[in-house]
Amino acid sequence: MPAPKWLIVAKNEYRIHTSSMRSLRRIFPYIAVGLLAVYVVFLAPAIFSYFFDDFTAFIITQAAAPTVQLVLFMLFFYFIIFPITNTLREEQTDQLEIFLAAPVKPSDVLLGEFLGVMPFYGIVVVVLAGSFTALLTPLGLDLAQIVITIAVFCLTFFSALWIGTVTAAILRSKLGKSARGKDIGKALAMIIALPLVAVMYALLGGGLLSTLTNPNISGIVRTVLNLIPSSWGAEVFVHFASNPGNILAVGWAPFLFFGGLSAFFLAVLFLGVKGANRAYSLETTSFTASRAKPDGVFYQVVRILGGSDSFGTLLVSLFKDYGRRLENLSKIIYMVGLLIVLNLFLIDPTNPEGGLVMMQFILPLLSVFIVGEVTLRGKGSLFIYKKAPSGVGRLVKARLLKGWLIVMPISLIAVVATAVTNPAGVLSFMLFSIGMLMSTVAASVAFVLGLFLLNPAFSDKSGNYMVNIMITMQVLPIGTFLVPMIIFRTILQLSLYDALLYFTVPFSWILGILILYLGKRRLSRIE
Amino acid sequence: MKPIIRTAKLSKHYGKGGEIKAVDELDLEVNEGETFGLLGPNGAGKTTTVRLLNCIIKPTGGSADVYGYDIFKNETDVKRVTGLLAESPGLYEKLSAYEFLEFMGALYDVPKTILTERIEDLLKLFGLHQRRDHLLEGYSRGMKQRILIASALIHDPPILFLDEPTSMLDPRAAHMVKDLIKSLSDTAGKTIFICSHILPIVEELCDRIGIINQGRLIALGTIDEIIAQTQSKTLEDAFIALTGGVEEKELLAWREQRGAST
Repeated sequence: MPAPKWLIVAKNEYRIHTSSMRSLRRIFPYIAVGLLAVYVVFLAPAIFSYFFDDFTAFIITQAAAPTVQLVLFMLFFYFIIFPITNTLREEQTDQLEIFLAAPVKPSDVLLGEFLGVMPFYGIVVVVLAGSFTALLTPLGLDLAQIVITIAVFCLTFFSALWIGTVTAAILRSKLGKSARGKDIGKALAMIIALPLVAVMYALLGGGLLSTLTNPNISGIVRTVLNLIPSSWGAEVFVHFASNPGNILAVGWAPFLFFGGLSAFFLAVLFLGVKGANRAYSLETTSFTASRAKPDGVFYQVVRILGGSDSFGTLLVSLFKDYGRRLENLSKIIYMVGLLIVLNLFLIDPTNPEGGLVMMQFILPLLSVFIVGEVTLRGKGSLFIYKKAPSGVGRLVKARLLKGWLIVMPISLIAVVATAVTNPAGVLSFMLFSIGMLMSTVAASVAFVLGLFLLNPAFSDKSGNYMVNIMITMQVLPIGTFLVPMIIFRTILQLSLYDALLYFTVPFSWILGILILYLGKRRLSRIE
Repeated sequence: MKPIIRTAKLSKHYGKGGEIKAVDELDLEVNEGETFGLLGPNGAGKTTTVRLLNCIIKPTGGSADVYGYDIFKNETDVKRVTGLLAESPGLYEKLSAYEFLEFMGALYDVPKTILTERIEDLLKLFGLHQRRDHLLEGYSRGMKQRILIASALIHDPPILFLDEPTSMLDPRAAHMVKDLIKSLSDTAGKTIFICSHILPIVEELCDRIGIINQGRLIALGTIDEIIAQTQSKTLEDAFIALTGGVEEKELLAWREQRGAST
């Protein structure tokens, strides 16, 4: 009798994901299970015993339930978006044809693809469940409570992963067949995480937790939160933690929540299998071809800014190529969203210096998204410039101008928004801070452009891209802002004004120009 | 010879009101043991036809049967009797050649007792046995194409669909694939359905051809018959006469415009 098709697909998925460790493939499950057992039985209890007193004090407070709810919600949401983001970043529909041409049901493919990666997701789920259980067990939970706690984790996270897997498969099928669809997918992958970031910052900033614990103003937020299945699991934990060792003393509530969670898992499993046909189809979904419209006012202004001659045309072409990719626009939306969230939840209006520091670290990421794509279209796109007379110089000039025209207005709005929320702000200080910060942002555009030419990243998944982001986000602000702040203010006892004026701004520009020069030289020699 | 693939007014229309006719009322018969070529310019409907006949997509009209199985009612049976080399096939690059063929064999329910031997035979036949454990990501394009043809043969189907089998290959690899198709037809007695716009390949391999343009079959017969029908000298001339071409003077018209050259 032939093996079930879902098992064949699952085995294949497992093989694909373990191809980098083929020699260990057979013993990998034993190694993983052994290491997880050591973590769950020995390490987690030992680590979390240090937090036991704080946790015991916390679990009886009013903040316990909403905190656990929020943590579980974030993990639940993350497990949903993880498979979706992974799929949308690299949509491949080519392999669909293999399955569709073979005598295999779409539901078997879906189930197989899910089960094939489950061992890897399972590792994460076991680590999380083990950690939570290690925190709860010292409270004196009985065996039944521990088993239900672990089951709650598995049901919550596997439901989320299944929802994510089914959604990812449907999106892949709908979007992966055209260039436009793939672009939409990449854009979605970028902004889909924004709500999670918002909740995380709201939690870190303390605003969300105080809202949830305030009985007068938490009504709508709590109601919405209670509708999410992860919250039902949180209710089970909090009930058990409040009544450890006596499962019957907690009443019906936790069992109802647990039952609801189980029903939810079965329902999503059923609906996913039913919806599998939609997830595996090569039927064309759209015949709409994107068409360019005549240049509007925006492009005309850009052309004028570029000098109206051939350089103006070059600049407009760069803007068009950049702006017509939804993936690029989504990065700008993501950054704007991030800046709004930061201003709302994390920046303390009474501490303008804190806000300034944060902006110094965040705004260079905007430069990465705008000018860091210079090499992402591959060497071919660079060779077009290298072939043209004075092409390299014009590429650098046009990219720099494009970077400034996008980065500067966005940064200005964000910095002004940060500065004006300070109730005790002095106008002169605000203007000075804004000016200094904008100057360093302009320098960072030059720096990032130079860096990406010096260390070209031909894919946003490449190691070079990650290294460049790390340098931009960490080394640049630490080297040009944080270190001089410490040296000038602590050791030399200078004011913030002087530290910014005499070091940060000039050094940022020197560094930016130097790296840009080196990047341009590297581009001339790239082969 | 008995027809092994038969279509009657087979259609696939898209869009509102079906205004986009990817395949339009296709009437076709392919005989057992025959190598049939479906020719057409890009976007003519060749791949859609192959996908319809392999039950990958559903027709919007007409009927078809493959090896006696109705493509509407007997999807699974149709899939079992056909092998497909897709135009842009998705290889699992992180699998070795052996693992990929093993996976494909399992998908088509090839019994394990036969599968191992068949994989070995196919790898030897396609000259890939020595690299059987190498990951496919390290294979050249020609080698990947060989593995894909091997995977289409793994369940030993009587009918083989080859969608643009040589379009991405260099002349040497294309020659090798061509020889392979020829031997499959001559020695293994397979019915082969080739889609291509590369005329020499079709000329050399096919017993009969059909020319499709904008979803409609506009010519059907042997190469000589089609050349005679269009009063052309070569298949290329016949193809252009049937599907339309660009006049030479139109091609260079832009040079006559003032200021076009610097």
